[in-house]
Amino acid sequence: MNTTYIRRRASRRAFLGNVAGAGTVIGAGLASPNPAHANNDGFGQPNPIPGGLAPFAPFGVFIHHNPLNAASSIGSLNDPSQITDFKGFVGLTHIRGGGTGTNTMTGATQSLSYQADMGFSQGEFIGTDGRHHHGTFAFV
Amino acid sequence: MYAGPVGLAQQIHDYNVHIDVNDVFWMIRVPHDAVEVDFDNARASLRVRGLKVFDDHDLANSLTDGLGLPGDLGFNYPQIPGVFPTRASVSFDVEWNGIISAAQIHNTGQHFQGSFLETNATIEWSSDQPGFRFQAEPANPARNLISVLGNEKNGAFFM
Repeated sequence: MNTTYIRRRASRRAFLGNVAGAGTVIGAGLASPNPAHANNDGFGQPNPIPGGLAPFAPFGVFIHHNPLNAASSIGSLNDPSQITDFKGFVGLTHIRGGGTGTNTMTGATQSLSYQADMGFSQGEFIGTDGRHHHGTFAFV
Repeated sequence: MYAGPVGLAQQIHDYNVHIDVNDVFWMIRVPHDAVEVDFDNARASLRVRGLKVFDDHDLANSLTDGLGLPGDLGFNYPQIPGVFPTRASVSFDVEWNGIISAAQIHNTGQHFQGSFLETNATIEWSSDQPGFRFQAEPANPARNLISVLGNEKNGAFFM
């Protein structure tokens, strides 16, 4: 991760904190107590795999994830886990399809397409505290 | 989600849980019984209802923390305006079922090893947020591009 991104993320976090403090002036959605990042506290926090890629280099972040490649054989698979120091089951999907979007204010509908890159990890991992934990995680 | 064919310039919703504070990419703890695995029979499922997520509008905004892409500096990306994330919830049933191919992998470069299966897979999912909801078509095995199940060890468990 480059220092530019760290600074940007810190700024966004600080901004979200200020927004939450503004309460109903901003709106219920942004005033939610939910964190700005995935909350994996309380039961052991996993560490990321060291590898990955930067899809929009030189912009954006380095992501610790190896996307599936439908053109490659299973034997040349990169580590499909997002969690390191991990022992267990993993699943990943790369699925495209369609569906219907609805504007809930007007009732107007629209055909839309999607790509779902999703998955899970379930098993044992060594957390940021150096201790062994068990957990089930969805990749969303 | 795309208003047209799958492509960054057509994307209008991008649902994810954001990168966590330790840089783990788009992973969120879910109840143990949200996942069921029968690896020997190449079957697994992931079922979650009402998961709170962010809608970053598009992948570029998701991975630039809402800054978008300039699109005019000689890089091979379209111009994507910056967008602030909004709240949404998603529900999904993902099923892995049936072997297409299999491999035993021992990768000393990436420090992972295990048994891996390329499988068939389906998904049914929906999203809900202020002013908008989406319902995907019924599960359709023909929509799978590539899906994988693994029983693996990596990092400190790699031998």
